Amino acid sequence: MIKNPFRNRTRATLAIIGIAIGIATIVALGMVTGGLQSSTQSTLKAGSAEITVTKIGNFGSSGGVMDESMVTDLKNTNGVKDTAGILRINSNVSTSSGGSGFGSMGGFLVNGIDSSKLALVGINSVNGTIFTNGSSNEIIIGKTVAQNLNKTVGSKIDIYGTEFEVTGIFESGNFIYDIGVFTSLSTLQNLTNNTGKVSYIQVKVNDNANASQVSKTIQDERPNDLSATTAVDQANRINQSLGMIDTASWAISLLAIVIGGVGVINTMIMSVFERTREIGVLKAVGWKDRRILGMILGESIVLTLVAAVVGIILGIVAVEIIFKFFITSQSFEAVLTMDTLLKAFGVALLVGIVGGLYPAYRASRLAPTEALRYE
Amino acid sequence: MTEENVIEIHNLQKTYDKGKIKALNGIDLEIKKGEFISIMGPSGSGKSTLLNMIGALDRAEEGTIKVAGIDLMKTRDLSEFRSQEIGFVFQMHNLIPNLSVLENVEIPMYETRVKSEEMRRRALELLEAVGLKDKADKNPTKLSGGERQRVAIARALVNHPSIILADEPTGALDSKTGDVILNLLKSLHSKKQVTLVMVTHEPYVAEMADRILHVLDGKINNSS
Repeated sequence: MIKNPFRNRTRATLAIIGIAIGIATIVALGMVTGGLQSSTQSTLKAGSAEITVTKIGNFGSSGGVMDESMVTDLKNTNGVKDTAGILRINSNVSTSSGGSGFGSMGGFLVNGIDSSKLALVGINSVNGTIFTNGSSNEIIIGKTVAQNLNKTVGSKIDIYGTEFEVTGIFESGNFIYDIGVFTSLSTLQNLTNNTGKVSYIQVKVNDNANASQVSKTIQDERPNDLSATTAVDQANRINQSLGMIDTASWAISLLAIVIGGVGVINTMIMSVFERTREIGVLKAVGWKDRRILGMILGESIVLTLVAAVVGIILGIVAVEIIFKFFITSQSFEAVLTMDTLLKAFGVALLVGIVGGLYPAYRASRLAPTEALRYE
Repeated sequence: MTEENVIEIHNLQKTYDKGKIKALNGIDLEIKKGEFISIMGPSGSGKSTLLNMIGALDRAEEGTIKVAGIDLMKTRDLSEFRSQEIGFVFQMHNLIPNLSVLENVEIPMYETRVKSEEMRRRALELLEAVGLKDKADKNPTKLSGGERQRVAIARALVNHPSIILADEPTGALDSKTGDVILNLLKSLHSKKQVTLVMVTHEPYVAEMADRILHVLDGKINNSS
């Protein structure tokens, strides 16, 4: 049963390639969605804030700033443990006015925050040291920025005509933060004429408080002014988009099953056809129809499982190559989950059964005398 | 059925092509346990069809046929009967090319409850009996025509059947090799006390049997 599918090497190889490409697509898509999912989940990691508060109509843009006093106001809300005001400037917008370092980078965020509040944005450890509050020239940079700009601790970065020294490199696990840099809030406020202003406020709730409820309270107290979103909400929104990718990946799987299934049917029918006499002999020596059915079905499954292994390797290699050469900003990494592997094997098994069933049935129903007479 | 008869056939009829071709036209036949029977007749006379009926490879439309005590007209699944009572030797050896000689001999035992060590032991014992023990691990494509047929004989005997059905077992061999095969069949027949029914074209081959049946137009013409 193990050897039989490979008697005709060319045919078996072609069938395997056909199924393997389908499986590889499933694995590659699975790895990408898996990677996106894990970066979404890390926004919910312990220690960081659960609620993001912005001015209505604006999120993270420099135009939508609010008064810094709100940071203290919100801290007094019932159930709130801590708050942090963050000024976020898109380097893209402002570098055109004279910054020399970032003009070419594109889509890169400069954040100002009180250094004691870094944990609220998920920065718990820094390779190097963090900046000191009020100092004018210290900055920590995300690992993606560090890789893209080729900067290390001690390197200089020019922002809005001021030279900053990189004191540390952080990895928050959240790819949005990892493509940004953080400096002292007051420094950034002064540098961008935003004294006393913040773009958004991160709110951490008490351990026993419900984030959604606190979020609602904040919202309800200032209905025309603020908008509060919990990290869970954000994650859900991202998950919805991921859900679409997932649906697409299932559609591709279905296509792979159909195409692969037809290929397997063809391969196995040819194989049964060529071995008609042999099947006649097996019947003559007393093999039951059931055993012949099982043998052909087994061969078909062996074929597709080999294709699954080939396809999984192919998928991993393809994703690695794409990430290495084509996606240079490493905002997230592809992750191979157990789910993806199980799905790949599941699809292969299904293709094996679906594709093998008809040829196996035909083989089992062959009349022994006709099979033996077959030339 | 008397105890002596291993095969009892009465008025057996079989047509092909929706009744246009009468392959068997009322066969009456009794074969005793341990007999060596030759069936002769021209091409298309129905001798192979008769053999297939005895071996339960095909079903008749009318008449009765009892083999080794089993009513083949009434039994639904005949695979067990074939497995336990019948050993086939075909004109073409019909070995499976990607299995070893040993594995080819083991094939009929897959449908039985024989354990794998016992399967191996039995297959090797029979390969020794047909003089091919040293080629057990070889691929059948590496063997000569006569050797392949000897493997086929070992395969036919491995489940200790009560009847060996041989359809022109020497038809594809030269006369010298053919003689070796015939002598082997004959000696195994007497040693294992198995009933041997052999279809053949050649009178000198048929002469080796205890009894010769002449089949013509789907009927047994006379027996000698």
